[in-house]
Amino acid sequence: MENLNLALTLLIAGFVIVFVVLVLLIVIITLYGKIIQFAQNAVSKKQAVKNDSETPKVKSVTREEIEEMTSNEIPDEVIAVIAAAVDSLYGSKPHKIKNIKRSRSIRSSWGNAGIAENTRPF
Amino acid sequence: MEILHQLGQIILNLYKSSGLASLDWQNYVMILISFVLMFLAIKKQYEPLLLLPIAFGMMLVNIFPGIMGNPSTQLMTLEQLQAANLDPASYTTSVLDGVTYYNVTENGGLFYYLYQGVHLGIFPPLIFLGIGAMTDFGPLIANPKSFLLGAAAQIGIFITFIGATFLNFAPKEAGSIAIIGGADGPTAIFVTSQLAPELLGPIAVAAYSYMALVPIIQPPIMKLLTTKKERSIVMEQLRPVSKLEKIIFPIVVVVLVAILLPDAAPLVGMLMLGNLFKESGVVDRIAKTAQNELMNIVTIFLGTTVGATASGTLFLTPKTLGIIALGLIAFCFGTACGVLFGKLMCWATHGKVNPLIGSAGVSAVPMAARISQKVGQEENPANFLLMHAMGPNVAGVIGSAVAAGVLISVLK
Repeated sequence: MENLNLALTLLIAGFVIVFVVLVLLIVIITLYGKIIQFAQNAVSKKQAVKNDSETPKVKSVTREEIEEMTSNEIPDEVIAVIAAAVDSLYGSKPHKIKNIKRSRSIRSSWGNAGIAENTRPF
Repeated sequence: MEILHQLGQIILNLYKSSGLASLDWQNYVMILISFVLMFLAIKKQYEPLLLLPIAFGMMLVNIFPGIMGNPSTQLMTLEQLQAANLDPASYTTSVLDGVTYYNVTENGGLFYYLYQGVHLGIFPPLIFLGIGAMTDFGPLIANPKSFLLGAAAQIGIFITFIGATFLNFAPKEAGSIAIIGGADGPTAIFVTSQLAPELLGPIAVAAYSYMALVPIIQPPIMKLLTTKKERSIVMEQLRPVSKLEKIIFPIVVVVLVAILLPDAAPLVGMLMLGNLFKESGVVDRIAKTAQNELMNIVTIFLGTTVGATASGTLFLTPKTLGIIALGLIAFCFGTACGVLFGKLMCWATHGKVNPLIGSAGVSAVPMAARISQKVGQEENPANFLLMHAMGPNVAGVIGSAVAAGVLISVLK
């Protein structure tokens, strides 16, 4: 009988203590989670505003506009990207970019995939 | 003729020193059980990391019980010492009834010394260190309400305590048996080593066996207690958790738990230390050691020595059968309480919580979470409950450590 009383006491006490400890953890974790999220959101917003004010405004160019441009009119960023691609392809071989012009005969993706499949060395 | 006599004597001595002469039927039964466990570990891959060393330790101790033998001191007279070719100067003496005896100490078996890590409660917290270093508490931090499911699944522990008391187990023994319901091997070993070390073998074997059998035990209970509609519930994606939140989490948990329940501090403390190693990102080497080398070494020692406590004469008793039956009840109750609380949360959130994740509230990381995922996908193949179930799963580890702290503080 004495052991049974102990068992019942332990059932109630154990149940209550485990729940209380874990509920306290829920409260604390939720609270600090919210505080950290709030703080991080505030910092990222501030950063975004700062970046907006510092970043020089670049005129956006559409694909159609690029197609109409001669090499002199193509934005420097696009030229830099193309030059980097050519450099990575030719590597140490001497090479020079004289003119950049959009190719009119664009192969379809299926065509490219077929060529790649048939020309891949292994 | 003389040669034949000597040969016969050698064979007789070999027979006397072999297991064939000294082992009894219980040892042979245990050896067979160890074979079954090895089969389950190797062929079925049920918790092989632990079941294999446990089974091997069980086999070794039943073939050669001396491997777990305690160190002993034998009292020898000078004549006996000289007959054994021992140097009297190497031994201390005792005088009994006017006769001087030399205290000849004999070392214990290999496993006796390795077992001290279990006996003194050192290995389970070290295992928790490794578990902490491997665990991502992100899903729990993202959805802290998962703690409730981790708490609900611990009710099985306390209900089983009543059952064990009814079966006339002493309170300390009942507490050790009940903790099997937490489905956490290191916690079960830790509590038993503190409350009823003599039951360590059967309790550890029962705890790890049930953890290994999670895929068989849990799904029928989960299906029985839930409807098809509930099992099909798709839960919302969890929010991303920042690194800072993950770093603060282990510190907060330790401070709170250790202050409220100091008896749970060794387990929770080491668990969270391991997690802090991982999340801080500044002690990569230590985190990797805790996850791999340390964890593996301790697992080998813990597994083999726990298995070695299951010697036939101690293990094959009606008490062990009672422990194994009660352990199963504890485990089933834990699963059922988790699922039922999951249903309650499902109702309270108007169907946003899938009750299947409640069963993961028993520890058994990550097996229990995988079962939630598997049972959920059987109903709805596009349902991914794994990350949602990992929350209650790791909450169960903390919850069972807290429950262990309650049992130790009340019963010790």
